[in-house]
Amino acid sequence: MADLVWLHEGALRLTHPVFAAGGPDAATIFIWDRDRLAASHVGIKRQLFIYETLAEMSESRSLDIHEGRAEEVLPRLAAQAGAGRVLVPSSPDPALRAEIGAIRRAAPDLEIVEIEETPFVTLANTPDLGRFFRYWNKARKSALRPQGI
Amino acid sequence: MNETIPLPTRFADRAAMLAHVAALSGRDDAASAVPDIAAGGRKAAEAVLAKVDPRAYAASRNHLDGAVTRLSPYIRHGVLSLDEVRNAALASVGDPKQAEKFIQELAWRDYWQRIYLAHPERVWTDVESYKTGFDAAEYDAELPADIAAGETGVACIDQFIATLVETGYLHNHARMYLASYTVHWRRVSWQAGARFFLEHLVDADPASNNLSWQWIASTFSNKPYIFNLENVAKYCGPDINTIPRHNLVLDQSYERLSELLFPYMGGPHG
Repeated sequence: MADLVWLHEGALRLTHPVFAAGGPDAATIFIWDRDRLAASHVGIKRQLFIYETLAEMSESRSLDIHEGRAEEVLPRLAAQAGAGRVLVPSSPDPALRAEIGAIRRAAPDLEIVEIEETPFVTLANTPDLGRFFRYWNKARKSALRPQGI
Repeated sequence: MNETIPLPTRFADRAAMLAHVAALSGRDDAASAVPDIAAGGRKAAEAVLAKVDPRAYAASRNHLDGAVTRLSPYIRHGVLSLDEVRNAALASVGDPKQAEKFIQELAWRDYWQRIYLAHPERVWTDVESYKTGFDAAEYDAELPADIAAGETGVACIDQFIATLVETGYLHNHARMYLASYTVHWRRVSWQAGARFFLEHLVDADPASNNLSWQWIASTFSNKPYIFNLENVAKYCGPDINTIPRHNLVLDQSYERLSELLFPYMGGPHG
């Protein structure tokens, strides 16, 4: 079965690993949820920037913007596309994580796979995040190398 | 409305797209004028990235007219990855150390995102207590109307607010000044200020923005960040009004400001 790529506002580029995971034929959607945007304090200037970026992406790849709530729109679009898997760029945003949870409850047969962003640094252990320089002292060596390797 | 019909992506111009986005958001009032914000899209991002000079950035980034990159909206929205920006920076210098300051600033974003993933609650709640001599309850929960309107009467602060509202961008140093003024001069909760920035900044990210506000407030740092008019004049150049009589509350020594702003806490700050 085909994959469906579900983009969000934190991963707006065609070179994101989510597209490599889905392959060239995977349908791509962005769900425009005005209530979630408002709840996340996304102002009109940022909304314009996001829309402008999506519009440019749609010039090079089939990408549709749909209005609505993800847990209602996504299962329907996945069914229309004949998709058994939904690929979504991973994100720390609790609102997105809550949406993924709601979709899994609403459509338990739909597999949702989170695809990680290309890493910035490679760390052997979970860093101490108590202060920036504790993290930086562990990350510096990797950060100053190409690909963080 | 049939939600399975895609929304349009072709518009005659930016004004038409703005009108569409404003209508989608139920914010028709916002479509009256196209804001002077960064252009969206990968082509614009690559053009900005091509101009990055890590050495010039390190030398002048703290000045409002310094060689800052304006990459933040593209990084925040994943139009550019931190990895590719770092790789481009390294490719533009002979020695990785020449790009270290720039890459360290990229690392701040990686750091904030790691906190967001591990401790999402810290984005809206105090990580630590205020270290100002005041309790959290003593800070106003709402942003005062004169700050939202850019009518505080403090000239440089009002200029920073106008720039933020009109362009969706503010130099990092100006963000620090405005945040510090809001929290420490006006005793407004960092959450109220953070919401104001999130509404207006094109690069707004809950983790980077809110945890930086906490750094200013001292709820995620060891002391409150304050500044004075002399510091503004040093970094802001002639476009910012730093005439003392137009900025009276800022025109003090750090020692005097600490006494005025934090009367229940001993020791100087800066």
